[in-house]
Order: sequence, then C-alpha cells, then structure tokens
Amino acid sequence: MIASFNAERLKMRKRWANWILVGVLLVILVLLGYVITYVIFTNPPKGFRSEVPPSVLKKEVFPENMVPNILVGMETIGAAIMIIMGGLSMASEFGWTTIQTILIQKPGRLAVLFGKLLALALTSLLVSIAVMALAALTSYILVQIDGSSSSFPPAEALLKGFGALWLQLAVWTAFGMFLGLAFRSTAAAIGGGLTYLFVIESLVGGLFRNTAGLKEVLKFLPGINANGINATFPYTYRNPNAVTTVLVSGTRGSITLITYLVFFVVVGALIFRSRDVGA
Amino acid sequence: MAQSLAVETHGLTKRYRTGVLAVNDLNLAIQSGEVYGFLGPNGAGKTTTLRMLSGLLHPTAGSATVAGASPGSSASLSRLGAMVETPAFYPYLSGRDNLRVMARYCGFSVNRIDAILKQVDLAERSRHKFKTYSTGMKQRLGVAAALLKDPQLLILDEPTSGLDPQGTVEMRALIAEIKNEGRTVMLSSHLLNEVELTCDRVGVIARGRLVAEGTVDELRSRSGTSTLLVRATPADRAQKLLEELLGKDKVRLASGQFHISVDPSQAGSINRRLVTDGLEVTELRASEQSLEDVFLQLTETPERKG
Repeated sequence: MIASFNAERLKMRKRWANWILVGVLLVILVLLGYVITYVIFTNPPKGFRSEVPPSVLKKEVFPENMVPNILVGMETIGAAIMIIMGGLSMASEFGWTTIQTILIQKPGRLAVLFGKLLALALTSLLVSIAVMALAALTSYILVQIDGSSSSFPPAEALLKGFGALWLQLAVWTAFGMFLGLAFRSTAAAIGGGLTYLFVIESLVGGLFRNTAGLKEVLKFLPGINANGINATFPYTYRNPNAVTTVLVSGTRGSITLITYLVFFVVVGALIFRSRDVGA
Repeated sequence: MAQSLAVETHGLTKRYRTGVLAVNDLNLAIQSGEVYGFLGPNGAGKTTTLRMLSGLLHPTAGSATVAGASPGSSASLSRLGAMVETPAFYPYLSGRDNLRVMARYCGFSVNRIDAILKQVDLAERSRHKFKTYSTGMKQRLGVAAALLKDPQLLILDEPTSGLDPQGTVEMRALIAEIKNEGRTVMLSSHLLNEVELTCDRVGVIARGRLVAEGTVDELRSRSGTSTLLVRATPADRAQKLLEELLGKDKVRLASGQFHISVDPSQAGSINRRLVTDGLEVTELRASEQSLEDVFLQLTETPERKG
C-alpha cells in the first residue's frame, strides 16, 4: 500500500489539473469569502438594509470569525472542487486505461485502491491546511487595512475547525472517487457528483429544509450533516437575516459523515476488487 | 524459475455478462524459456485470455497458473511483465516519469529505468511527455514498463500493432534480445510472419478455443495436401493439357501460375508431358504449405466455409 501511495503522490503532484483546482478554490476563497465581502460591507451599496450594521457584518472576514467563515465558504465550493478532484483521480485511470497498466504491476487491487485513498486523504489534508493558512493571512491583512482589532480564535477552536474542514473535504473527495469507481467515466463521475451537490444538496436541501416528511430524509444527506457541524462554529455576532434551519446536531453530523466516509471506502473496495477490468 | 511451465491453464473459460463466450475451455502449457506465439484472428479471444492471465479479468470457469502462482496474485505479478492491448500511460507525464510511477507501484528502485530506456531505444525522448510519442514509441515504452520488474515471463499483446516496417523490425529484434536473456515470452498476434519469425511454438486460437499447437513446421505439416506450382507458356494450351491430364478440379490458375493438387513426385512426368507437347516450362516446384494456409484452414468460420 505504501508503494502505491508513493506512486499516487508522484502522479498527483505532476498533474496540472490538481494544481489548477486547488488554485481556483483558493482564489474563490480569498475573493468571495474575504475581499469582495469586505469591500461590500465597508462601502455598502445604496439601499443596503440589514438589522445588523455593515460595520459589524464586516467582522465576518476578521480573524475572530475565521473558522465559521471558512466552513460556510467551503460548504459548496470546497465540496465541488473535491468531488472533481476525487472523480478525476479515479475515473481518469479508466479513461486512459492506465488502470490495466497499474494492476499488472505488483501491488494488488486493494493496495492500489488504498494507496490512492491515502494520497487523496493527504491531498485533502494539504488543501485544508492551505485554506486555513490563506484565510488566516487574508483576515489578518484585512483587519490591519481596516485598522480594527480582532484576534484569532483559541487554538482548540482552530483545531476543531480544522478537523471539521478536513472531514468534510475528505468525505466529498471520497464521494468523487466512489463515483469514478462506479461509473468508470470522468464525465459521469464529475457530472453526477456536481449535479447531486447542486440539485439535491443545495436546491432541494435549501428549499425543503422545513418541509415535514422531507426534512427527515434530508437529515441523512452529507451536505446537510456538514451544515450541522458548521453550525457549531457560530460567528461572533448574531445576524438575524442569515439564520437558516440547522437540521442535525454537530455530533450527529460528524458521525454521519464518518459513516459516509467508511461506506465510500468499503463499498468502493468491494466494487474495485470484484469487477473485471477491460471487459 | 523452479517450475518448467511458465503458463498453464486448465479449462479456462470466460463468458462476459453480455453472454459472449470469449474463451472456451482453453488448455495451454507454455514452457519456461520459450517464445510462444498466441495466434488468432481478431476477436478470437487472445486479449481476453491475456487479461485473465494478468489478473485483470476473473475467469468464469477453469484455472490458470502464471509464473508459478495464481493470476493477479502478488507472487505472480512480481514475476510477470505484461503489455496488454494498447500501451496505456499517463499522457501528462514523460516516459521516464511514467516508468518512475510504475517502479513505485512495484516498490522497486528507479535505478533500472535508464538501462531499460536505453534497451528499448527511448533514452533520448524519455523526458518528453507520453502524449507526444509516436505509436512505435508508445509500444516501446509499454515493453519498457513490462521489463521494469526484470520479469521471468513477459506477455506482449500485439506488440507490433500500428508500427511501421522499421518499427516492426526493431520490435522483433527487441523480442529476440529478450528471449536471449532467458525470459519466457508469450506473444499474441494475428500477424503470421511475425509469429513465424519470432516464436518457438505457436498456439492457434479460434472462437475462444485452442485449435492447434506446435512448432511452425509441425503446423505446416498438419495439412496433408500438397501442391505443384507450374508456370508454362502459352498458358491457354498448358491449361488445356493439364486439365486433360489431371482433371479440371485439380488445376487452378492464379496470377499466371498453375496450382496443381497432386503429389509432388509427379513433377517429372508432368514436366516431360508439357515439354513433349512443345510448351515452354519456366517454373515447376512443389509448394510448401504456408502458415497462412494452415491458419486460414484452422480459423475458418462455418459461415466462411459456406
């Protein structure tokens, strides 16, 4: 497995598509999550209405709110990027038929799969670190520009926030990889994953969150559970305009996401081990 | 290798989920150190067999031993180098990096890469991306990846497919070199001259079944029919005379040459008769059954036979 992990690391490092995806994620984080938000709240457009004054709202981008700002920002865009990355990593092997070349080498199917999983886990860890570091730097610069004072959350909160971020990114990466294994097609894996994310999680999950009956079903979706975890990291101010219904507790959210992670890995391994390659 | 058989299959069968029976009760025995040609027309089941031997496909029935272990097991794969179908590598990586990736999968040191790149004549282009390689270079990289593990057994699926004549000659030379290193080579092909020039023994597969096996000479001698080839002028008079002499069904004119289905020992009397009748005989020889003839006989489908 370690041999496969080393091979996967080399492949992932040399693949430009991965760097572009991470770059896009970080640019969106800085621009949408920080710079544009700060500009809007510093110079609110005419007719801007809020129960909370913009001078308070802009604290969203200051160090004190680093964790919730990252988690909310990553809920959709982070998930989308990691689905693409996981899908690309697995489905490309079938598209290029390199899976045959790999499997003819020494390691065996499960070692190949777990080597890939380890490499993707490492990737999601590095992405989480990059996101946290860039968010910290950007929020620090913005608070300096603003001339305000704001301090970073305590180390424990930062660590918990980091853990929550990594767990969520890892689950979405595993989801992308699982789809790649199931469909064996890059287009189907990425298309299917993003359609699920935007239609089921974002649209249906957003519109029917308070609908009795459907609400109980929604509680099992990974995105809804990620949202439950993220709600345990509140902003330092209360914004009545931004209140959304949280369907699950942080603990249930964490357990559900870990269950999904195990499911994707175990079922993915069963599929990979039993199905013919090149049939 | 302690065992004398590099590949052994018993009743190996593969039926796809679509219902297609690709390989049917295949029994193979490939000796260590030989170059074994696995010959068959397109769709005969060659690649399916090689995929099963490489552990990519699970057989529906039967069993196989590859390099002394079950196909796809770590023990078997560590002694097996294979290029099945088109060589598949990462297009965004260079040839060298592709080999580095494969070496890492095997847990081997990358020290051998330079020597192997030199052996397959890819050293100069090794830092170029795989997607820029010609078909011949891709095939050679495929062989390089197969050689990376220093395998005892090498499985090559249509290694000259898509190569120009120069590339084909180079690939043949490479296979000969690999054989001289004492490795067993299983070479699948539908190109008869390739098999004829390269292989010690040949197995012919048709419709998923092994229909013949032996050396090229043994296969040639399987067909008892012999032919005399005669070229004589004027051709119309020669044809009339030969048909009167031997019967219409035994004489066939093709490309200005008469193919006569008789025992070659009659060559002298036929020659004498033609000359006596004032015909000029410019060629008269016994035709050796070509591998192509044998191949066509063995692999002829019932539809073709009509």
